Amino acid sequence: MRVLEVDALRKTFVRGLLRRKTEALRGISFHVERGEIFGFLGPNGAGKTTTIKILMGLIFPTAGRARLLGADIGDREAKQRLGYLPENPYFYDYLTATELLDMVGRLHGMDAGARRRRAGALIEEVGLGHAAKRPLRAFSKGMLQRAGLAQALMGDPELVVLDEPMSGLDPIGRKEVRDIILRLRERGKTVFFSTHILSDATLLCDRVAILVGGELRDTGPLGSLLDPRIDAVEVLWTGDDAVADALAVEVGDHSRTSEGRIAKMPDLQAANRVVARVVEGGGCIVHVIPHRESLEDLFVHEARAAGSPRGGEG
Amino acid sequence: MATSATFGAAGRVWAIALNTFREATRNRVLYVLVLFAVGLMGFSIILGELSLHEDVRVIKDIGLAGISIVGLAIALFLGVNLLSKELDRKTVFFVIPKPLHRHEFLLGKYVGMAVTLTVLVVMMAVTLAGVLATQGASHDVALLRAESLVLLELWLVLAVAMLFSSFSSPYLSAMFTAALWVVGRNSTELRAFATGKLADTPLGTVLSSAAAVLPDFHVFFVSGGTLGETPVSIHGGFIGWGYVGEAALYAGAYGAVCLVIATVLFARRDLT
Repeated sequence: MRVLEVDALRKTFVRGLLRRKTEALRGISFHVERGEIFGFLGPNGAGKTTTIKILMGLIFPTAGRARLLGADIGDREAKQRLGYLPENPYFYDYLTATELLDMVGRLHGMDAGARRRRAGALIEEVGLGHAAKRPLRAFSKGMLQRAGLAQALMGDPELVVLDEPMSGLDPIGRKEVRDIILRLRERGKTVFFSTHILSDATLLCDRVAILVGGELRDTGPLGSLLDPRIDAVEVLWTGDDAVADALAVEVGDHSRTSEGRIAKMPDLQAANRVVARVVEGGGCIVHVIPHRESLEDLFVHEARAAGSPRGGEG
Repeated sequence: MATSATFGAAGRVWAIALNTFREATRNRVLYVLVLFAVGLMGFSIILGELSLHEDVRVIKDIGLAGISIVGLAIALFLGVNLLSKELDRKTVFFVIPKPLHRHEFLLGKYVGMAVTLTVLVVMMAVTLAGVLATQGASHDVALLRAESLVLLELWLVLAVAMLFSSFSSPYLSAMFTAALWVVGRNSTELRAFATGKLADTPLGTVLSSAAAVLPDFHVFFVSGGTLGETPVSIHGGFIGWGYVGEAALYAGAYGAVCLVIATVLFARRDLT
């Protein structure tokens, strides 16, 4: 079942006295299925935030249509089942995390007891137990991001929309956010998140959409978007110079690292020959890594193919 | 999850109002303005001492004027920043996607600010009563009616400021609202011009149309003037509760129109 549908969505911003037009979205269409983690990828200025702002009812499309949880954008009942974390979240900084969640709970129509229990549990889940009574203005960026996640989850949403949720987080914070996203999927929630951090998308997403210059370049499961063919095989080995000399014809120049010498071979057969010669010469194999097309390769390829035009806000 | 079946639009409006009130009470600028009013009332004791047996009169006049002026400054400050602050701080991006309608958000902001104004006016009125008590005078019902009229005026100023802030910058909103307040306070003179020397002239028609359409703030500050031919003063011969009720109906109707227009404008606005 589809929880989010976007159909031929367009947005043109008109700015300034000269009414200059910027085409941020150029007719994009995609959908998100219930229970999946969907990555909305694109470089800065691709139109990701513009799309999300339309979905959240903050701005209106110039053309096209979008539906959230089976209802038109802005439907209050649908918003009741939605959680949203804006990019670089800004909250009422005079509130404490507990007060912020209490306010969100009120907007979701929760009674006082439910608000207190849910807020307490979420504050612990996002690791803000030590700062629950501190005003948000005293929070670091990472702590604000956690508070933002907690408020997005306050209404126990079916669909969670996260705009650059890993932005500004340190590696530990990013892992914690990834873990929260994975736990949400385990609970049957749908997660739609935008990012330009491809490693996060690779680790999390069931499906992705790649947006470049306001146009959707690709949509689908990562496995179907990425070329499964092996581009190269990396062999890292240690041993005598004599072995390196013996491999010179086949390998050419080795690159050197602190761990040993690296031979980059075009396919598995060539890599096997290198491994055999190293072992025969008394050397040791440290690792053999086949390289396939990565999400980053695909992303760069799509961006270059589109000439990486800049869209609207992000 | 436990939800209250009775919780509806009123609950959501109250959630926004409560937050707006909380924000206002943590704003030091408001306290400075209220302290200014309190200082003015304290100063009125000194001025009263300088007058010839008119100390209570002076305290009442200056106290009431202080509540009105400081209240107006606060209403303008709160009203014109209504949306710009939310947009500048980007807090609107997290509130609007919550399960509430845009008009509920706007109404909640208005209610929160109106509650803030009410609390501040009550605080200033209590201070005025205290100052009067030090001079052996009481805070009589005429003064209470005058303060009620000031509060109604401030609620209307807030609604007008909110209307302007729904489509223009805080600076322009403040200019427009202040200009309307000045014109509205002088609505009697405006009508006198329109029906006197300028009667049957194009300018007279423009002025009488303006007097009919623009908010009549003179309704709320009648002490020292006349109603019809009758002099009105908080020191004797002041208006009754019936007049306050009529003024409340006027403020309510005019304010509601302003809020409805603001809501319509805000409903289709791109929040970028």
